[in-house]
Amino acid sequence: MKKYTLWIAGGLGALLLLLVPLYFKSTFVLHIYTLTFFYIGLTAAWNIMAYGGNLSLGHASFFAIGAYVGALLYVKLGISPWIGLTGAVAASFVGGMILSMPLIRLRGPFFTLATIAFTEVLRLIAIDWRDLTHGSAGLNIPFDLGWLNLTFKSGAPFYYIALALAVGSVWLSRWVRYSALGYHLRAAASDDQAAEALGVDFNLVQITALLISATLTAVLGLFYAFYSYVLEPATLFSFELFSLQPALNAIIGGMGTVWGPVIGAVFMTPLGEFLRFYLGTIQQGLNYVVYGIILIMTVRFFPGGILSLLTPLGVRFKRWIGDTGDNQ
Amino acid sequence: MDFYIQVLISGLLLGGIYALISIGLNLIFGVVRILNFAHGELVMLAMYGTFWLYKLYDLDPYLSLVVVLPAMFLFGVVLQRFILQPVLTTSGVMKMFTTVGISILMQNLALILWKGDFRAVQTFYSMSTIKFSGLIISIPRLVAFGAALLSIILLYLFLKYTYVGKALRAIVEDHATARLMGITVERHYLLAFGLGALFSALGGTLMMPFSSVYPTIGGPFTALAFVIVVLGGLGSMGGTFLAGLFIGVIEAFAGTFVSPGLKEAIYFVIFLLVLMVRPQGLFGMGRGTEEIGLK
Amino acid sequence: MALLTVKNLTKKFGGLVAVHDMTFDIEPGEIVGLIGPNGAGKTTLFNLISGIVHADQGSLMLAGKSLIGMRPCHRSRAGIGRTFQVVRPFDMNVLENVMVPALTRTRDTSKARKAAMEVLEMMGLAEFATRSPGNLTLPQRKRIEVARALATQPKLLLLDEVLAGLNPTEVAENLPLIRQLRDTGVTILFIEHLMDAMMAVAERVLVMDQGALICCGTPREVTSDECVIKAYLGEEDPQC
Repeated sequence: MKKYTLWIAGGLGALLLLLVPLYFKSTFVLHIYTLTFFYIGLTAAWNIMAYGGNLSLGHASFFAIGAYVGALLYVKLGISPWIGLTGAVAASFVGGMILSMPLIRLRGPFFTLATIAFTEVLRLIAIDWRDLTHGSAGLNIPFDLGWLNLTFKSGAPFYYIALALAVGSVWLSRWVRYSALGYHLRAAASDDQAAEALGVDFNLVQITALLISATLTAVLGLFYAFYSYVLEPATLFSFELFSLQPALNAIIGGMGTVWGPVIGAVFMTPLGEFLRFYLGTIQQGLNYVVYGIILIMTVRFFPGGILSLLTPLGVRFKRWIGDTGDNQ
Repeated sequence: MDFYIQVLISGLLLGGIYALISIGLNLIFGVVRILNFAHGELVMLAMYGTFWLYKLYDLDPYLSLVVVLPAMFLFGVVLQRFILQPVLTTSGVMKMFTTVGISILMQNLALILWKGDFRAVQTFYSMSTIKFSGLIISIPRLVAFGAALLSIILLYLFLKYTYVGKALRAIVEDHATARLMGITVERHYLLAFGLGALFSALGGTLMMPFSSVYPTIGGPFTALAFVIVVLGGLGSMGGTFLAGLFIGVIEAFAGTFVSPGLKEAIYFVIFLLVLMVRPQGLFGMGRGTEEIGLK
Repeated sequence: MALLTVKNLTKKFGGLVAVHDMTFDIEPGEIVGLIGPNGAGKTTLFNLISGIVHADQGSLMLAGKSLIGMRPCHRSRAGIGRTFQVVRPFDMNVLENVMVPALTRTRDTSKARKAAMEVLEMMGLAEFATRSPGNLTLPQRKRIEVARALATQPKLLLLDEVLAGLNPTEVAENLPLIRQLRDTGVTILFIEHLMDAMMAVAERVLVMDQGALICCGTPREVTSDECVIKAYLGEEDPQC
């Protein structure tokens, strides 16, 4: 009987979410929601790699790959972004395979450094290859309305698209965690030698996680490109926005869990936007000062994230609704 | 032919400074086992220090070393003691995230306090050059190279022959055993970070006569330092020096003959290649390889 | 056909010869003990068989198929199971720890969960399924090590000092386990320092000293062998 309570609460929440655009017409409010959904997706995608103990700070590369491939296929060849998705997935898959080559054997911080280097190389190429990407001048997506072109007048369609992406990403992240891949990733993260001795193919498992994470991020990038309709390397390849932020969200929410990324993104995205608008206008850079402090404090005082604070409560909650914890 | 030698020389000279900065990173990683993402910001801070001493008190950059070096050493010690020491027991990446936080903090504080304008120092010798068999060599760059070389040699001697230096090397090789031998590891962390900051500061100040500073100048230096340390090999001072020269030369040639926009890309590519082919670096002692993941 | 065939296996670390020209067979269904003074190379031999370390020379075959060049994870899938002397449980509860290797045999998590529970029951750990290994006693954690190795459905199980660190009561409790394991169809090669345990359980014993195989035979034969006694006492003898 008590388990139904959870479903009812969840259902109500979902219903409310679906109704938001009908009541809030303000572009700013819808933008905050939409951006939050994008970041839930990005953080969940990043977290898939984190299951295996690999903390990437180079996810902006895949985000940007998805964005540019989708946008360029549309702008130069007239291919609808829905079909362009396959291109984005393919390109990020290849990118992930290329990145895997140096990364196979790396552990810990050196892996992270390699991801950063990879992103920087791609960013610099994107800036330099002006014929293709329009470099820093920016690539614009022309304003042709329609679902096929992913261009709309109001903010509502992207609200729903982003919501769907967020739900899909969290579902995927959950599916990975409770699959054989998930168990092997956690074992590999815990003790790679013991895992190998027990039959876990460390390399295969890590590369698989990387490819899933990368392609999901690229998909999000494609949709983001059409949402913001202007593409420039400085933004899409931005370390702070799309490499650090998902990692930060996950750490703050609770890394390596399914709901941690969601909590982190929901908490940090609106906070970040408000910080940017209110502090950033008072004094440029002040919002990032707050970021730096938050990062340092979190690592120092809550390395397990918000979820680790909630877990004692979470366990009692689960017992209350009769969940044995056996079948998630 | 002369033109190539000119580019080579200027690459080597700058490479010496890069090596100086990277040695600090190497030391910090070897002893404290932290990948210091805020390393470039230490350079940036020293450069701003030098600039303000010059602007407010007319102090020549080379003379300001007397103030900047101890100040930065102290800064490094404080950073290690109060911000990094408490998180040393967490995983390598979490430690790195802390330094990322420090980096963001420092960059943006600099932006707030001193604005984004490029700041430069103009001394009577800023533009001086030596002419040598058809080549033109900038004096401040030559001085910087010389000072870098001298400092690296001094550091090498310090590590090799003094008691404290040997203690540091022992910690780099094996923390646990060093502790058992009676070495107070925590105090040596302070020393290592302080020295790391000091060497970065030295590099930064030496650059001020011919370079300008702005809040985000740290990022590229951090990147350079990582590439050089990995290329040269962790734990090898000589390796870091040679790698620094190598990268300086590559950068000079890439900037001149390929596109200036891509010259940074070149050393990131080198970085990835090194990690792929020979992660312990060209001269790596194999120390810290378990951190990289060499099996 | 022998289950494990080792011929002229050699491993050097720099100037030190850790394993020198070892040749022996293990037949299916045997319980074979491996003894020798400290530093004899026993763990290195285990590392060579399980693939953590690669041999410089020699051949190594499991049921006729060569293992040379295979990574540890593939040797595990071929049928080599191994426990570590210092227990290394994963950062998860006991059941999940055993599910990890079970999931190398099946991709289905519910099947793996069932298989893992069966192994836990056999090892007497079923009641601790949802607990964290850190909260359990040393003998229990040693059993988790064995449970994990078992879940890989090994043909040959390498037990590295499974009884080390246990008090005499615990040893007596855990000793029959080794025979029980063999009775489920697993061949066993185990390292042990406790001579009583060796005598009680091993059908055949291999003796190593300074990287070489100096003697092999039944426990009784081995304990009365001159060379073996001299190896443990440290005397030099040109005849061994």
